[in-house]
Amino acid sequence: MKLLLVPVVAASLALSGLALLRSAVPTEAVGAKVDYRFSTAPVNALGLKSLAELRGKPVLVDFWGTR
Amino acid sequence: MPTAVKHQRELGDDLQVIFVECQGADRDTYEAFAWKMKWMGNAAMWTDERPFATTGSGLPETALIGVDGTLLMQGHPGMLGKKLTEAIEAEIEKSKKPPESAPGELKKAWTLFHKGEVAAAIAECEKVQHEQSEATKAEFESRTIARVQRLGRMIDEGHLFEAEKQLAALEKSVKANAELAAKVAEQSARLAEPDMAREREASKAVSALLDKLATEKPFDEGSVKKVNALAEKYKGTKSGERAARFVQLSKIKIGA
Repeated sequence: MKLLLVPVVAASLALSGLALLRSAVPTEAVGAKVDYRFSTAPVNALGLKSLAELRGKPVLVDFWGTR
Repeated sequence: MPTAVKHQRELGDDLQVIFVECQGADRDTYEAFAWKMKWMGNAAMWTDERPFATTGSGLPETALIGVDGTLLMQGHPGMLGKKLTEAIEAEIEKSKKPPESAPGELKKAWTLFHKGEVAAAIAECEKVQHEQSEATKAEFESRTIARVQRLGRMIDEGHLFEAEKQLAALEKSVKANAELAAKVAEQSARLAEPDMAREREASKAVSALLDKLATEKPFDEGSVKKVNALAEKYKGTKSGERAARFVQLSKIKIGA
């Protein structure tokens, strides 16, 4: 029974996450050049304003949820 | 703990992690959450502004941007697994070498630049006769000016302890280039102003304590008391405000 529940719960979580991700933000395809200027400095930004300032260093963007 | 926090801790300045909260929590809530989970105390940044949308199938979702600003991969971090780790390592490797597209004549300039010898890298561009010399020199200058401008904003925000560390590296790297050295000197002069002394002391004390508490028990009563003492001691400084904010965050009931 537990084994059957795991994929169902995982699928529900994935779908709810997908719904939350839908927004007016443009989707970028792999291979596209990305840039973004933050309107409010991120927590711990230490003066950083845009992704362009990080050119020369890899950037890992982690989309997550507090709930 | 999210894999991205581990990457940030292990790879330090070689990588920049940006966490983007996507479930509508406000800034106070997600910052308090991150403190409570002991995910702070490293270079990772936290925002709720999405630089771009994802095409994946839920949260969490990870995207890797390469050294040249290209989106290299995206998807569930668990699904990307080893591929993501290998891609990060490859990009870090790339970040320390001249770009593949750089002509042989300018490889030395790139090597100097990556070693932090900006003035020498620019001088090398001027010495080498190549059609890409000017563009390469402009790239070095613009990246360095961006660093100086960021340093200025760090000072504006009261992160003087962190700014001083950056300043030392910048001063050394641009010393032999009059134009860039003058820009760095402007920031150095700001830091040396007498009214910055208290702000500097506050920045050092608050940063050291918050960094220490981040991976211990940040919101325990004893920890919050210590931070509150600094908030009181350095009232009126930006770092004092930062300490007071931490105390306020500790009162937020996560999940309530």
